[in-house]
Amino acid sequence: MKRIIEKVLSKGAARAEVFYLNSLQTEVSYEAGRLKELANTEETGVALRLVKDGKLGFATTTKLTHLDRLVDDALATASCGGEMEFNFAVAGGLPDSRCFDETVAELSVDEMMKHSEAGIAHLLDYEKDILTESGTARDMQTIHVLNSDGVDAKFERTQYQFYIHGRLVEGTNMLDAGAYFGGTALDVDFDQLYERAVDDFRSARTNVDLATGPTTVVLTPRAVADIMLTLNFGVSGAYVEQGISPLVGKLGRPIFDERITIRDDGLRSGGYRSAPFDDEGVPMQTTTLVESGVLRSYLTDLRTARKLNHADTGNGLKAKRLVGTKELGKSPAPEITNWVMEGGEKPHEELLSNVGSGVLVDSIMGLLMSNLIAGEFGGNLAYGLKIEDGKTTGRVKDAMISGNVYKLFKSNLVALSKDVELTGLLGGIGTHWYPYVVLRNVTIATKS
Amino acid sequence: MKSRIEQVMKKFADKCDYLEVHFEETEESRIGFTGPRLSDLGRRVDFGGNVRALHRGGWGFASFNSVDRLEEFAQYAIDQARTVGKGTSQLAEIEPVVADVPLELKSDPRDISLENKVEIMRAYSERALGFSDSITSSLVTCFDRFHRFWFGSSEGSLVYQERVDIGGRVTPVATRDGDTQGYSVGFGGSDDFSVVKGLEREIDHACEVAVGKLDAPKIKGGEYTVILDPRLAGVFVHEAFGHLSEGDNVYEDKNLQKVMQLGRRFGKSFLNVYDTGLDRGLRGHLVYDDEGVPTEKTYLIREGELVGRLHSRETAGKMGEKPTGSARCLDYRFPPIPRMRNTCIAAGEATFDEMIAGVDHGVYCISASGGQTNGEMFTFTAANARMICGGKLAEQVRDVTLTGNVFTTLENIDLLANDLAAHDGGGGCGKAGQFPLPVTHGSPHVRIQGVVIGGE
Repeated sequence: MKRIIEKVLSKGAARAEVFYLNSLQTEVSYEAGRLKELANTEETGVALRLVKDGKLGFATTTKLTHLDRLVDDALATASCGGEMEFNFAVAGGLPDSRCFDETVAELSVDEMMKHSEAGIAHLLDYEKDILTESGTARDMQTIHVLNSDGVDAKFERTQYQFYIHGRLVEGTNMLDAGAYFGGTALDVDFDQLYERAVDDFRSARTNVDLATGPTTVVLTPRAVADIMLTLNFGVSGAYVEQGISPLVGKLGRPIFDERITIRDDGLRSGGYRSAPFDDEGVPMQTTTLVESGVLRSYLTDLRTARKLNHADTGNGLKAKRLVGTKELGKSPAPEITNWVMEGGEKPHEELLSNVGSGVLVDSIMGLLMSNLIAGEFGGNLAYGLKIEDGKTTGRVKDAMISGNVYKLFKSNLVALSKDVELTGLLGGIGTHWYPYVVLRNVTIATKS
Repeated sequence: MKSRIEQVMKKFADKCDYLEVHFEETEESRIGFTGPRLSDLGRRVDFGGNVRALHRGGWGFASFNSVDRLEEFAQYAIDQARTVGKGTSQLAEIEPVVADVPLELKSDPRDISLENKVEIMRAYSERALGFSDSITSSLVTCFDRFHRFWFGSSEGSLVYQERVDIGGRVTPVATRDGDTQGYSVGFGGSDDFSVVKGLEREIDHACEVAVGKLDAPKIKGGEYTVILDPRLAGVFVHEAFGHLSEGDNVYEDKNLQKVMQLGRRFGKSFLNVYDTGLDRGLRGHLVYDDEGVPTEKTYLIREGELVGRLHSRETAGKMGEKPTGSARCLDYRFPPIPRMRNTCIAAGEATFDEMIAGVDHGVYCISASGGQTNGEMFTFTAANARMICGGKLAEQVRDVTLTGNVFTTLENIDLLANDLAAHDGGGGCGKAGQFPLPVTHGSPHVRIQGVVIGGE
């Protein structure tokens, strides 16, 4: 890798940065309750950024036998590229990060199969007609960032993901439920995960009517994670710099109810995206985004930190947007790591029983089509339950929820649960920790 | 590459029921403007392959960049297939294909210099930003990719294909008082770089729509008669029906098979839906799919009845149906699965004027900012919308998200116009982690009764 930098400098570039990724993923998939496929994915690639005549060039390759082509491509893009508006990272101390886990690294295919098979057995034990799907994946990554300013840092990371999904079709009524876990370590109680999936089926077997109108809504941690996509965009240094985030100029000002505190924690033990440094070689950290309702920080990469005159939070990641996987060909940009929202005072069971009537919302379909940057979220209740007298009474279908995070989480917050749960994002990828959130006066439109 | 495939087949073909090897090399140029700034300019070379083995119904799959370790990965895939396989392999029969499919381009993106491409995009960015003070930013993206695919199987298929994929999007963004609204002009194609050019008038229109949305009231939630424009109707048929027609969603699901039984009525007798890989120039155009099966035009609904679905060789084999040339993979990192190509609602006979004249109180939904389905329910968001009052177009409204049950909504289509148009955007379809796959959709204007629209 050092040779690439030397070569680039010898061709007239002023500075250069190399990002190297090697990953070996092992995946077990089950379909219709049966083992379907075992897969191995070996991926090796290099991304090169360089500065020539004050302009930034960028190229990537997975054809490591033809590195000259990589250098030529990067030089070609620099010749008509954008102005270099930042400096590459400088060498310095790196934080401790627990992102390599021996247990995950040594997991055998047999053990991975057991995780899926036990989940399938749980669902089928509850209802034999559920069509199950499950997958378990283990990824071992080596990431190495070097630059001409002296950075030469490398880390190894394990990532583990598990999902179980079931679908029950009765007539033209379809009910989907499942569970997900992702992380760099196996900090998971599988039985609890399986039980949750079964509970979700159990609670939604009958459909009930709901009248259109404003109602009290209990968001599960999964739903909060999805809805917080709005804030993911809002605090992104990229959208702030463009002036299209509604949080422009709001640092130090209240944006949410004072009970809300949210952190982006790139060092969280076991977090799926935890690492000692980001994809530009900048140390990762724990960044308090919202403290007692007040906006404290944006998330930045090297460029946006410079442009916004903001601290570099170490969030320059080459992540495939919304899919979350590493994408070699993408330039680093401000991306979330692991998000943590602080909980409230009472367990969620108690909050639920205090809600006279309302709707429990777990999963919203079509959320991504909302104007998320503006804080708006909406979609069809893929999984929602009606609450009557503090108890869930059945599933609400053909219903559309909509609202604006910056209004609802500021003025309509009833309570946050004391219990904070680990959840993925959009049903998969990543680990985030959220409480249940109760909001009043949320609009849900239905057929009736 | 062909000789490497033949070598592997010679050595390993008799070790499992079925074996295939893919290689793929992609060269990409990519340009992005964020506001006035050239925010992304990159070139990408991606070279890799995979081996997929089937034995007694179980699959082993290995993908790799280290092409020199091909035999090691082949052995791995076979071992894994043998571990998994406990039943019988059921692949629909096909004639093995030996073919070379070179490019047939009207205009080759590789002949246009990177400088030239950057200037075209810069001009779009400047045009949007200069439209009015309310346009505060814009996002402009453009990519072109040249792919080379090699495919060989233990049945004797050996196919080399070249493909080009071009796409992108120009999105003017209007901002006022913390409110942000955008509207996109998407473009794409597979044989002509000129799809990238001449978008000025569309960009102006997009600016007008985005600025208009700042002032437009939010729609009131409830049930409406809606008219979908061809772009939105294309997304609708893709999301609401196309995915349900993919064989892998049906073949293991006895209950869904009952719902999706061929011959079942899904709409009125004027409703015809098809998915085709035959339309040259569109992003969903194929010659052979990623299992070496020739592509075709597949009718899904004919005269209101379900008549077909989209298959890989495995889903076709298991359901006793014919493969449709629909097995596609995002790239060599993934196995091929049943996917759409160009999904269309066929034209009807009404004119748009006739269609709207019959609507007293409804919504005209224009273009989509996306769509999603979970099988039975779908949802999609109109990128722009206007109320319909007394048979005439009225004020612009925003935040129009439509939802419904797939089966009742298809039945509730009561009129199709005669203006079928296919559309390529710069995005793609996502399924099983494989996103974005180039697809096209098409439709005439479509009128649907009783659609639920969300709103506060």
